[in-house]
Formats: sequence, structure tokens, C-alpha cells
Amino acid sequence: MIILPNIEGDSAYSFSLTTFSRTGKLLQIEYALNAVSNGRLSLGIATSDGVVIATDKKVSSPLIDVDNVGKISEIEKGMGFVYSGLGPDARVVVRDARKKAKSYKLMYGEEKTVTEVVKSTASLMQQYTQSGGVRPFGCSILAAGLDENNTPLLYQVDPSGVFMGWRATAIGKGYVSAKGFLEKRWNEDMGIEDGIHTALLTMREGFEGEITGKNIEVGVLRKDTGEFKVLTEEEVQDYLNESS
Amino acid sequence: MSRDSNYDHHISIFSPNGRLYQVEYAFKAAASASGLTSVACRGASTCAMVTQKKVPERLIDPSSVSNVYTIIPSIGCLMTGHSPDCKALVSRMRYEANDFQYKYGYPIPVGSLAQRIADIAQVNTQKASFRPLACTAMLVSVDDEKGPSLYKVDPAGHFLPFKATASGAKEQEATNYFEKKVTDLPTYTPDETVRCAIMCLGSVLGSDFRGTEIEVCTVERGGKFKKLTEEETERHLNDIAEMDA
Repeated sequence: MIILPNIEGDSAYSFSLTTFSRTGKLLQIEYALNAVSNGRLSLGIATSDGVVIATDKKVSSPLIDVDNVGKISEIEKGMGFVYSGLGPDARVVVRDARKKAKSYKLMYGEEKTVTEVVKSTASLMQQYTQSGGVRPFGCSILAAGLDENNTPLLYQVDPSGVFMGWRATAIGKGYVSAKGFLEKRWNEDMGIEDGIHTALLTMREGFEGEITGKNIEVGVLRKDTGEFKVLTEEEVQDYLNESS
Repeated sequence: MSRDSNYDHHISIFSPNGRLYQVEYAFKAAASASGLTSVACRGASTCAMVTQKKVPERLIDPSSVSNVYTIIPSIGCLMTGHSPDCKALVSRMRYEANDFQYKYGYPIPVGSLAQRIADIAQVNTQKASFRPLACTAMLVSVDDEKGPSLYKVDPAGHFLPFKATASGAKEQEATNYFEKKVTDLPTYTPDETVRCAIMCLGSVLGSDFRGTEIEVCTVERGGKFKKLTEEETERHLNDIAEMDA
């Protein structure tokens, strides 16, 4: 049984804001995807022994206390999300995913797999394209996790509610050239360390200015530990120094 | 009606280039509604916030005009923007903070309060039936674990921790002033922190103040958030004048 959230508490807006155009398009969703492409670049790579997700964390002012700012969120111990697009919308999506994962664990006694979490996140995104009085989310999510056979998986969820599994992908500003770069470099025998280096190289490609451990954020899910961890600034800087 | 692409300027739906115009307009309203500028900064062990105080008419009782609010004794807030919206947000902040205390038995950390208020602000950007509130909140506290903390919450639902920040009409100029001081700020004593904030506002507005024309507030480790009296403000202003002399 799906419990529909009470999104439309207000009857004055009990019609969908996302409606079909004469040519059959859902323009609000397309515009939401534009909002994602205006956001800072995020990318992910799935390898045989882990998944890496990374994002541009550049802040707009040196006055911001950047050490306490993060775009990568842990959903459960073995799962991480990163977004591109509107940060406040991403917080809503992350909170919902965390709640659903925990209540699954409470109900069934086992961890919800990343595929199932992604399905519920996609379903949430879809509801906001059809329910009354709300606009679609302005963020896409890259999700890193392990399935029930411990295979590392990377998923992308879009504001339309579409979700796909990827070997490597990018979202946000400059995602087209980033994806081109990743396509050339991804191969099946890649290990997680290679994956991290490739991710950093790809980020460096389109980066304005110098890339450092302070202005990017990297999250790694390793198959052997089953744990998702956000790398510290020093760890990221070490990887950057290795590859240059 | 929402097929009409002009509607994207009326309610919070996406425009073709992926922007939310209502949210952007809310920012403009927050900056210019009151014509005031507010600044805040964080020192080694304290935080200080300063804002202009303009009493629009002489018959108004000055003690009733204030943009400084206490949320709980350890968390203070400086609101900039459309003042009924400011009061509504403060009311909600006080509710959320006290509800947290009731449920969990300890005072809400300022970062959690900032996040909660930002999430509520985000709802206004996604539901058609609410407009975003035209106000920016700056929250200060000295957190048990993180030390002096300053957070800014804006109409879009962003919240970020800052070393120093400003909002209102002269936000950009004040931010530029602070950027020059960003490496020195973490070393400032309580008095230096307060004076830095006052001097920032002074340099940005291009004038000297009297104690009645600004509101200054601070929060110290272990202490309560408090608004300085006119005498205390005058003392700081005199110290600043002596420094320049």
C-alpha cells in the first residue's frame, strides 16, 4: 500500500502546476532539468570494488565557513547521495530517503538496498510533478550503494522521476563534456582507486581555478568495508597531489 | 493558467531557464524592504551583530522598534527585511526551538535551528499556495561543540555557517569589508569583535553613529544572548573614535 503524502492541503491549489503543452511536453520538468544544469558539477563512477561520487563545492565567498558545509550526504552506513541543482530541494529529498531507509530497516530487519531507495526517491520526485500546488524538485541525485549481492551500483535520479543505473555519469554545469571524458576513460577492470583518480581528473577538466581539497568533496563506497565515507580535505588533497 | 508562461513570475514555478523568479524577487524584497543594513561577525569566543536603527517618525516609541530577537537565551537572531514577515519567522523559530527542548530535553543547537528554519523556507519555494518570506535571518550562538557560530538563512531556504556576513541594502559593500578581515577575525577578543562589526557598518554607511542609531548585540560562551544598552554602545563608539584619533 502506498501512503500518498498530503501535499495538497490547500484546496485552492488542487490542480497540478505541471501540465501538458500542446506538443505533449511537460515544460515544468524540462525547466527543472535546466535548473539542475545550472548547478555545480557532480559526477560518479562505479567500479568493480566500489563507487566514487564527487562534486564541486566552491563557495561564493571566503566568509563562508566551508569546513562545515557539505553536499554529499550519507543515507545509511552503506549509501551516499550527492546532488546538483537547488540545495534546499536536495535537503528534502535526502531527508525523505533517510526516513524511508530507516523505516524499512525497522519493519523488515534488513537494510534497504540502494535500488529500492532510489525507486522511492524517484517516486517522490514524480509525485511532485503531478500533485496539486507544488513544483518539481530542482535537483538531480547521484546515489552510490551496494545491492544485495554486494555489487557496487551508481544511480541517477532526475526531477522527472526517471532513474537509471550508470557505470559513470555527470550532472550539473558542464556535464556533457564531463560525461564524454568519463566515457573515454571508464573500463570494466577499473578498481576503486583508479575510479577516484579518474573522478578527480574529470573534475579538474572543467574546473575554474585551482582544484583543492577545500573546493571539492569526494565520497567513496568501498565493497570490502561496505561503508560509505566522505573523504577528508587532507585525503582529497593527497589524491590530487598523486595525480598531478 | 500555469500553462501561461508568464505565471512563472507570479508563483514559485520554474521559468524556462530553470530559475525561480518568485524566490529571486523575495531576495530583492528582503534586501530593500526596510532600507537597513545588518552585519554580523564571529570572533575567537564571541559573536557580534549590528544593525541600523531607524525610527520612522518622532512620535514612535523607540523602544518598540527593534530587529533583534532572542529565540532561546543562548541563541539570538537579527532579522532583515519586511518586518511583518520577520516577526512571523521569529515566532516560528521560537516555537521550533522550544519544541526541540520539550522533545529532547536540551537546548537546540543553532545549526539545527538554522536548518529547520531553512527547510520551512524551502517549502514556501515549492508550494504554490505560499509565497517565500521576504526576510533574511542571521542566527548567533556559542555552541557547546563548535564554539562561536553564525548562520544566515535566506528566502530560498539556503543556510550556511559564516565567519562574517551581512544582509540588507548595503550587503555587498559590508561583505567586501569583512573579506579583508577574514584571517584576523578568529583571533578577535570580545571587544574587538563588537568593534569590527560596528566599524564595518560605519564604513559601509559612510557615517558615524550615535548610540541610539544602531542596535548591537552579542553572545558569549556560557552567557546569554544580549542586546547592548545605549551606554555600552556609546562606550564602544568612543573607543573606536579614540582608535582613529
